[in-house]
Amino acid sequence: MKFRITSPAGPGWLAALFLLLAGALTTATAKDLKFQAYLVWAANTDKSPDPRHKPVEEEVRRKLRELPLRWSNYFEVNRVTFVVPEGKSGTASLSEKCKIEVADVNGQHVEVSLIGKGEPVLKRTQPLAKGKMLVLGGDAPDSTGWLVVLKRTD
Amino acid sequence: MAETDYSSADDPTLVRNAQAGDLGAFEELVARHRDKIYGRALSMMRNEQEAIDLSQEAWVKGWQRLNQFQGESSFPTWLTRIVINLCLDQLRKQKRRQAESIEALDEDAGGVERQMPVVMVNPTERLERGELRQRIDRALAQLSHEHRTVLVLHEFEEMEYKTIAKTMDCSIGTVMSRLFYARRKLAALLADLKKEN
Amino acid sequence: MNAEQELKLQSFLDGELPEAEAREVAAWLARDADAKALHSELRHTRQALKQSEPNALLPESREFFWSKIQRDIARLEPTPAATPAVSPFRWLRRLLVPTGSLAALALAVLVAGGQFGWFSGRLAPATETAMANASTFTYHDEANGTTLVWVSFPAETEIAQPAAN
Repeated sequence: MKFRITSPAGPGWLAALFLLLAGALTTATAKDLKFQAYLVWAANTDKSPDPRHKPVEEEVRRKLRELPLRWSNYFEVNRVTFVVPEGKSGTASLSEKCKIEVADVNGQHVEVSLIGKGEPVLKRTQPLAKGKMLVLGGDAPDSTGWLVVLKRTD
Repeated sequence: MAETDYSSADDPTLVRNAQAGDLGAFEELVARHRDKIYGRALSMMRNEQEAIDLSQEAWVKGWQRLNQFQGESSFPTWLTRIVINLCLDQLRKQKRRQAESIEALDEDAGGVERQMPVVMVNPTERLERGELRQRIDRALAQLSHEHRTVLVLHEFEEMEYKTIAKTMDCSIGTVMSRLFYARRKLAALLADLKKEN
Repeated sequence: MNAEQELKLQSFLDGELPEAEAREVAAWLARDADAKALHSELRHTRQALKQSEPNALLPESREFFWSKIQRDIARLEPTPAATPAVSPFRWLRRLLVPTGSLAALALAVLVAGGQFGWFSGRLAPATETAMANASTFTYHDEANGTTLVWVSFPAETEIAQPAAN
């Protein structure tokens, strides 16, 4: 099937349509997504053996305490603030061995990939609205745990 | 379709339903008895994480073997036996020879428990239940896992000597010696705790 | 008192002696102060234990603990092969004729659709894939606005050692 566009204005009309669309594209989805990612060590000891590790900030601590985790203390190993441009992805390197990639799926859903030592560990797609948190975690030696906390802040 | 309310069903009903494949009924059994199973694992392993993992494994094994349960004992008793065996397997695997050998030397050296003076006054008299539990817990933590196990199986599981021997894979004589040592050691520890306080 | 006598005393306390032997031990206790003292000590210890079995509570919520058991049970049972999902946009691709203007128009429809949420409802609430040798289970706390995804793989895996970083 063939289509032919005809217009009294010729190609000019088409150019105008493209311009309108380009405008729509930039204004309709101008919102970048902003995140804070934390690498957290969970333990029942009062202090981390690494003096650089401080207790996590109060809001994060409060939310982690609400979860069914068996630890009473959470220490911030690293924190990264990053932006995911609309429709694209962004990466936060939390340690030499741990990286998190976040892709904007449609402005409401994000695809979060956890990468350990260069290998994909987990990929999760879910809604993540402003102020909400996604916590990925697992056991660490000596009955401690590791957590990657992703908080949307835009 | 309305969800079945299992919370008012008794254990035998839940077990029958679970044996027929009803996972919801089994989940209710887990909810009801998880603390007891966990507590038994914790009293044997003295490690919270291991106790959680082993009690979880016991429930999964319970599901697998559910059709073997014929009601000869209560369901929680049956499942407790499963977690006890898992704990004993785990203890055997773990290389705790250092601690064991010290305790074994105590026994082998003609029974140090025979040298302990008899505790004349009841060290737990007039203690409130909560405080008694705490002291018992602290004292149990100081025993070797084999002595603690024999106490747990005899006093908490109310097993006879021959059942303990079969469960721990040792002779009745060994069960009796370990139980005697464990009780005497516990009495001494409780007396010490009483003095401290 | 020798070792054998002491163990007999204990067996008497535990009700493990045959009746005749139990009567002998009872008589012995009545006349021997040392035996009576030891029996008393053993009895107190036994009573203390019986009255005070530690009362542990499993430190995980009902849902969380059950989710792990359920996952392990599911692993035991064979699962049917997954059927591949049909893309909801397949019908649209067929209509994308490779002429610039019509393609642009289709793009405009897609953009507008995304803007007004025409297509967002087709995405599942959450999907997950675990890779390597990991398995996962999820806990969602609506009130807290937090989702926890627990990844199970050997604790010695290096991602699990942030403290050694």
